[in-house]
Amino acid sequence: MMEELAHHILDVARNSLEAGATRVEITVEEDPTGDLLRFSVVDNGSGIPPYVQRQLANPFFTTKSGKKVGLGLPFLQAAVERCGGNLEIRSDVGRGTTVVATFPYYCWDRPPLGDMPRTIVSLLVGNGHLDLCYRHIFNGQSFELDTGEIRSRLKGIPLDTPEVLLWLRQYLAENLNILSGGGGYEVARRAG
Amino acid sequence: MKSLAELDKLREKLQEEMRLREGKEDVKVVVTMGTCGIASGAREVLTAILEEISKRGLKGVTVTQTGCAGLCHCEPLVEVERPGRDKVTYGHVDEKKAREIVVSHLVNGQIIKEWTIK
Repeated sequence: MMEELAHHILDVARNSLEAGATRVEITVEEDPTGDLLRFSVVDNGSGIPPYVQRQLANPFFTTKSGKKVGLGLPFLQAAVERCGGNLEIRSDVGRGTTVVATFPYYCWDRPPLGDMPRTIVSLLVGNGHLDLCYRHIFNGQSFELDTGEIRSRLKGIPLDTPEVLLWLRQYLAENLNILSGGGGYEVARRAG
Repeated sequence: MKSLAELDKLREKLQEEMRLREGKEDVKVVVTMGTCGIASGAREVLTAILEEISKRGLKGVTVTQTGCAGLCHCEPLVEVERPGRDKVTYGHVDEKKAREIVVSHLVNGQIIKEWTIK
């Protein structure tokens, strides 16, 4: 079980890395007015062969040798179903994969979005060369981070140097806070 | 408020430090981040390690991640590899333990035996 949607996002994006993706686009869209929370992970990895695609929701299926279970997507599927949301996975072998999960914003069973800055930073640990584009939309306003821009500013210093990653985490946290109009926007929903 | 211009200053500082370290081999810290790892708190462990390394100004440590190591019941796992030594694997690591591993193992060179798994 994952406590936060941000954990699911990290898990899905890690699949992208394992599929050899060099570019990953993560979009989180929060639309409280429209009762919608949607996230998508789009990669240019190796894609999922059709015989595997048929088994994605099956927890007792995995392509890893020596293992019996593969729980990542089944967990996400279960979280989506608990809320009456929707999970869509499109994949082309050799081109990449797109995962889109949609939840009703106001649903008791929806996990909170959680710590997105931590998720983004964790993805970049040991993956300084990854082209990661993170877009966060809140009530129509958006914030975007592209590691390409960050890397060009760093002029050869690895993006995954601890100091740089912690700086990024703070940078993301502050910008998301501004985006959501001063923080704690999920508190009201969880407090009830 | 953090701005991208501020990043330039950080870069200059890091460039200076890199020049001083040139040619030395790094210690490697690996956190396993399969579904099992993430669900049991590997993300929190990973950021705690980054924070502790940064706080103590430790240089020459490469932090990286990998997938499930097949020891899901011991997650979160943290592996430490010092050049020329055997790999040490810690199991059931949380944020507090992660910080202690950085101090004891990486700073002082002391393996915390009771947290390791075979």
